Amino acid sequence: MDFANLAAQLNAGAILPEAIVIATLLIVLVVDLITGRSSGRWTPYLAIAGLLGAIAALFLQWDSSTPIAFLGGFNSDNLSVIFRGIIALAAAITVLTSVRYVEQSGTSLAEFIVILLTAALGGMFLSGSDELVMIFVSLETLSISSYLLTGYMKRDPRSNEAALKYLLIGAASSAIFLYGMSMLYGLSGGETRLGVISASMVAHSGEQSLGVVIALVFVIAGIAFKIAAVPFHQWTPDVYEGSPTPVVAFLSVGSKAAGFALAIRLLVNAFPTVIEQWHFVLTALAILSMVLGNVVALAQTSMKRMLAYSSIAQAGFVMIGLIIGTDAGYSSMVFYLMVYLFMNLGGFACIILFTLRTGTDEITEYSGLYQKDPLLTLCMSLCLLSLGGIPPLAGFFGKLYLFWAGWQSGAYGLVLVGLVTSVISIYYYIRVVKMMVVKEPEEMSEAVKNYPPIQWNLPGMRPLQVGLIVCLIATSLAGILSNPLFTLANGSVLGTPFLQAARVTQPVAQIHTEPANIASDVKL
Amino acid sequence: MLSVLVWVPIVGALVVAVLPESSIQVSARRVALAIASFILLWSVYLMLQFNVAESGWQLQESLPWIKELGLVYQMSIDGLSLPLILLNSLLTLIAIFATDLNINRPRLYYSLMLVLSGAVAGAFLAQNLLLFFLFYEVELIPLYLVIAIWGGARRGYAATKFLIYTAASGVLILVAFFGLALVSGLSTFDYEALRSHSLPLSTQLVLLITLVIGFGIKIPIVPFHTWLPDAHVEAPTPVSVLLAGVLLKLGTYGLLRFGLGLFPEAWSVISPGLATIAVVSVLYGSLAAIAQTDMKKIVAYSSVGHMGYIILASAAATPLSLLGTIFQMVSHGLISAMLFLLVGVVYSKTGTRDIGVLRGLLSPERGLPLVGSMMVIAAMASAGIPGMVGFIAEFLVYRSSFPVFPVQTLLCMIGTGLTAVYFLMLVNRVFFGRLPEALSDLPRVKWRDRIPAGIIAILIVVLGIQPNWMLRWSEQTAVAMGTNTLDRVTAMQATEAVENLEATEVPAVKVSLTLD
Repeated sequence: MDFANLAAQLNAGAILPEAIVIATLLIVLVVDLITGRSSGRWTPYLAIAGLLGAIAALFLQWDSSTPIAFLGGFNSDNLSVIFRGIIALAAAITVLTSVRYVEQSGTSLAEFIVILLTAALGGMFLSGSDELVMIFVSLETLSISSYLLTGYMKRDPRSNEAALKYLLIGAASSAIFLYGMSMLYGLSGGETRLGVISASMVAHSGEQSLGVVIALVFVIAGIAFKIAAVPFHQWTPDVYEGSPTPVVAFLSVGSKAAGFALAIRLLVNAFPTVIEQWHFVLTALAILSMVLGNVVALAQTSMKRMLAYSSIAQAGFVMIGLIIGTDAGYSSMVFYLMVYLFMNLGGFACIILFTLRTGTDEITEYSGLYQKDPLLTLCMSLCLLSLGGIPPLAGFFGKLYLFWAGWQSGAYGLVLVGLVTSVISIYYYIRVVKMMVVKEPEEMSEAVKNYPPIQWNLPGMRPLQVGLIVCLIATSLAGILSNPLFTLANGSVLGTPFLQAARVTQPVAQIHTEPANIASDVKL
Repeated sequence: MLSVLVWVPIVGALVVAVLPESSIQVSARRVALAIASFILLWSVYLMLQFNVAESGWQLQESLPWIKELGLVYQMSIDGLSLPLILLNSLLTLIAIFATDLNINRPRLYYSLMLVLSGAVAGAFLAQNLLLFFLFYEVELIPLYLVIAIWGGARRGYAATKFLIYTAASGVLILVAFFGLALVSGLSTFDYEALRSHSLPLSTQLVLLITLVIGFGIKIPIVPFHTWLPDAHVEAPTPVSVLLAGVLLKLGTYGLLRFGLGLFPEAWSVISPGLATIAVVSVLYGSLAAIAQTDMKKIVAYSSVGHMGYIILASAAATPLSLLGTIFQMVSHGLISAMLFLLVGVVYSKTGTRDIGVLRGLLSPERGLPLVGSMMVIAAMASAGIPGMVGFIAEFLVYRSSFPVFPVQTLLCMIGTGLTAVYFLMLVNRVFFGRLPEALSDLPRVKWRDRIPAGIIAILIVVLGIQPNWMLRWSEQTAVAMGTNTLDRVTAMQATEAVENLEATEVPAVKVSLTLD
């Protein structure tokens, strides 16, 4: 193998965006070492510039003719591009919202940013990894940085508790996931590349169905932990409540998007022979997530816990797109994740701002906020209403697209559950809006009565304001002007070979199973 | 042209929201009034542009929006939506005019009222099913907020109840639309395309019943009506005016446009049931109104009853009855708006709406004589006294429904009698008799309080004497809808007859074969 051939096989250009993030990460680290504490003034901007650079590099990779890189370890197809973009954008907005928060807590900003960038890096690699070892390494990169981030507020016992819980449950789920992957490795005859596993599974279908199902269950357990689907959600409320809020914002969007990217790639590729089984399991998870997430959210008194349950429910909605497995299904899922990014991060940005100014996140403390802070009230209301699916905000169109795609492919039960639970969800979202907007001045809470004057010129407040307004604008307009996003989401699915191939192999798989069954019948 | 009705109020709402702080009460009110007046003038202009001889869609507008969803920004107007658009524009202006001058948080209030008006106009104009649904849902949050912020003592409860009921109705409507688009195999939400597509009867029935329950919550029909009295009692007067006058019409409009328009065959099957529901609504609403002591609740329950006439006439679905339906929608919109305005004036002057406490308000020196006289007019109109708009509407409804549903129509007529009972009780207790000392120091009624109700009173009388000024706009559309329904029903019956014939013929052939 000569060098040119090897270079072509490595195709290192495919990970240019990740390379940019790595470079940014190292520069931030080194700059922080050299300049010390004063680096906090511009390391965030450096990180954002790096992440935006990565997004720009991702644009160049759109519809790339040679997506496979690193001897098949990494696949930079359109689907991975879009997910990497979502994760990088989520990280960028998180950096914007975290500057003031981290500074106020008295910890080092540069370290926080470095860990956050590492988490984003793990998520980005995970979205494109096409090989079992690669998947596990990037998954662990994401997970370990997430544990570090949740425990970043060292002096806060709740943050420590959250980190410990997250670590223990996360490590257990990683172990289960790894076990499932090891079974896949064995079942496919020692293959690690997803494409080859897929072919080998199809070729040997019928001989090993029980083993495949067990591997499937283990793998789903790992994925469901990442996307916080019921019944693998128990960590979510506690971790969300205890962790620093910017970290929660990233976990609820970036980490979840990475989990969905992994779910699509692994389930579609590695389990073509047990499609019905994994659809069944995911349907159960989706229904449970939608029902439990939305119902339990009704009873929450803490804003972060409420959004934790809401994010569980939202994961249930997104899973509809994954289960139906049509082009429209996948692209509605991608579209929903794109708008979810803005509305959820917008909501968390508001919580961060409110916590910074008052030090609390109880829902009742938001009472009468409109008087003191109209911008925060507006932004929070729009983001929450968008999560609840009220037109003409972005979330409405996302849900409509998901439900319509589900309905078209005959998943009536799922869509009906989704519709009914989204009516329930309106109730708890509107409760917060009611607290902020409806309450009269005399019903104002203590926290709002002592609300500090609004000063955007404090250090670290400008980035938060920018993040807030970006999310606000995107949430209000991404729905009405959603054609570009729709095109992007459709392009990401249509331009991804394995999703298109999956549709072709499905009937083939069934044809393959039939002779096998007949053969076994004859033997009996 | 039509988009103006939607976008000017919404953009206007944004303008109102960012008005400067100084003398905000006056400036917000002025801007809102200016926008509402412009909208009313524009609606009148549209009315003049409207071609009466044409039965179908007019002044169409179409812009592609989201192709993947089948969502097209498609608007147009016909004889069914034109009167409702006019009603919406008129009542929005009146509601804004009738607003308390020192209302709390004027910017938010006027913005929400304008958004409400724009969204309702959009729903009446939408020609794409998803677009209709979008506007139907947009109207939800502004109305929730106006009730929850400016409402009475139990406003939180009433507003939340309204929100949940309407959101549930939205889900049912969406399911029916999804189902229709999918079953028809067209995967489109274009109204005309779906209308010309004929579905098997059983499918139609499932979809139509879903749709009827969905819109039935909004109308409201008994037993889904409980949100309405709560919402009316707690809502401030201008919002009650809009709610009764325009927003309930979204339900009946949807029923006619999408229920009757898209599923005429199934409609003919369930129409006896609908007529029975209408009877239940009429009688229940009227009897419940008699039992109330709160003036606003009486008017609210009378709304439940009078919406029943609309359902009765829609169920009959003949050309004349559809004309009656449209006329009754407008007449109910005007009369209930006037009643709510007058109750609002009484409440603001006396501080109570309890008919057990109020007495003798018609007293010429110290009472509210002009308001009382207008109340009598409104009560007469509502009870269907000739010379008023209510008489024409109810006469049309009864005349056209009687041949189709004689029993139900007769039972509904009892409701008209009951209307007279409860309104006479109200007028008798509140306005006649001696004014008690406790009520003798009433604040003066200003002309500003009287003008809105006065304008509606003039309209009620003028349209009562000269109904053709209103009927002519809808006549062609109603006739076309009615005949289209009849055609499709007869066509269905004809094919059924043929099928039955075939079914009986086949064994005969077989028998002859075996004989050979």
